Amino acid sequence: MRQVLKNILSLEDRPRSEKIGFIIFIVIILVFPWVVEGSYARAVMIKFLLFALFGLGWNLIGGYGGQVDLGQAKNVGFGAYATALMMVWWKVPFWLTLLPGMAFATAESFAVAYPMFRLRGHYFAIATLCVALVWKELFVFWDWTGGARGVEIPIRPTPDFAYMQFGSPIYYHYFIFLLFIAQLLFMNWFRKSKLGYQLQAIRDNEEAAASLGINVTNTKVITYCITAALGAMGGSFMAAYYLYIDPDFVMPLDLSILIAMTVMVGGAGSMWGPILGAAILIPLDMYLGAWLGGQKRLGIDYMIYALIMMFIAAREPKGIWGVFERMRRRR
Amino acid sequence: MLLEVRNLVKEFGGVVANADISLEIERGMTVGLIGPNGAGKTTLFNCIAGYYKPTGGKVFFGGKEITGWPAHQVAKIGIARTFQGMKIMPNLTVEENVMVGAFCRTRDRQIAKKKAQEILEGLNLVQEINIYPTELPIATQKRIELGRALATNPQLLMLDEIAAGLNPIETKEIIQVLKRMKEERDLTLFLTEHVMEFVMTISEVVTVMAAGRKIAEGPPKEVAKQERVIEAYLGKRYAKGQ
Repeated sequence: MRQVLKNILSLEDRPRSEKIGFIIFIVIILVFPWVVEGSYARAVMIKFLLFALFGLGWNLIGGYGGQVDLGQAKNVGFGAYATALMMVWWKVPFWLTLLPGMAFATAESFAVAYPMFRLRGHYFAIATLCVALVWKELFVFWDWTGGARGVEIPIRPTPDFAYMQFGSPIYYHYFIFLLFIAQLLFMNWFRKSKLGYQLQAIRDNEEAAASLGINVTNTKVITYCITAALGAMGGSFMAAYYLYIDPDFVMPLDLSILIAMTVMVGGAGSMWGPILGAAILIPLDMYLGAWLGGQKRLGIDYMIYALIMMFIAAREPKGIWGVFERMRRRR
Repeated sequence: MLLEVRNLVKEFGGVVANADISLEIERGMTVGLIGPNGAGKTTLFNCIAGYYKPTGGKVFFGGKEITGWPAHQVAKIGIARTFQGMKIMPNLTVEENVMVGAFCRTRDRQIAKKKAQEILEGLNLVQEINIYPTELPIATQKRIELGRALATNPQLLMLDEIAAGLNPIETKEIIQVLKRMKEERDLTLFLTEHVMEFVMTISEVVTVMAAGRKIAEGPPKEVAKQERVIEAYLGKRYAKGQ
């Protein structure tokens, strides 16, 4: 037990510069809402933390596992809809909706995983994309999910902790930060665990992995399910924070791709990569959009955004974190 | 009998890669498998190790039938292998490569790490522990792959052309390492090789394959004199001894 706890908390194998950087990062996040007053900046920060959360989760299957999953939005949707619908239908407190959402995402992923992992590489990516799009269309089509109109969570007359409704965005900031830290600790355990090493072995060479007693398919399926559960967790937060969801908002292809992109830009398969990727792409997206998108230059923000991503993809296959790693190894 | 292959057949479409192969390997032996290119040596390895499902015949390991078992279960039961043309994990360090092997027998990271260090020490790779394998010479990478296989605690170690691409000095080194490891770990070795000197010095028994069939078996010196073996390698003219 103590050993497990130590594995979760310890960064002993990371260099000192990383530990210092991490502490500075934590301090910035903690004081941010007290220093920055602007509500747009605060919203950007919350969105950054949300996507860092998504990225950390996706990094399991996409980074450590090397399986390009372009369907993470379906899991975000499952979480968001579980929370929204349960709150609207039965007035279930937010906290009790988290687990059902994650459980459904896990169960659905488990059901589709075995046939999907018969595919490799691009074909796997296409399959994940299709499954996610089918789910999105179903949620548009069905009446009981609110269809294309979506679901609105009624605002309560007074701030209510049980329903995650607060008077100030500061609370949301700290709540998402808490989820983020929890997931980061999980990742810190994961990357040093048997499952983590076996998954990386599969990414690097499936045949070699099998020769070392690793059940390749099962390992992928387990990871895929964990990734799904983590995506649903972020989705639940989205529903509670934005108070309004529809399939185009929580389940679109753009979201799946953005999640994968943040990780790839930041550095897939590294602990800090997804955070770095989200820290760059999310503010970039939101400020470019606000700055350029509003005036009659519609689309320029997307072009700049796409250029930056293409540049990183072409020059740095290991993402921005890969640049840091290389610099360190050269020294 | 540690490994027993009974009438194994493997066909790809209409091509017969292994036709009716039978062989037995006793515990503690070193058996070499030789034959010209395309004789079906690697196919036989893959059938035993679970990479191919045999079309016919049976494979037994320690008296237990393992025909058609998937590769990871074959590894769990105690058969480790290396690959022709290495398959090393490029994004894991040398130590982590070997640790993945050790995770075959334990969940605990500390135990796996200790095991990896012990094996790397035995292979004289302590200096390279934190280096990525692709930065190292081929001979070193081969030793890492060997260490990774050893970390799974095998009873039978199958080596597919481990000396290929090595120079004579490196080949001698790997022979010594193998002999030492065999002693220390009570291993049974089953190896295919093109480098004749390597097989002939290390093997107690040599099995010869040609065109998917087993054509000879016996101590290396005797096998090398057999007409059929010379014929398979050099053609009929030389076999008649002109």
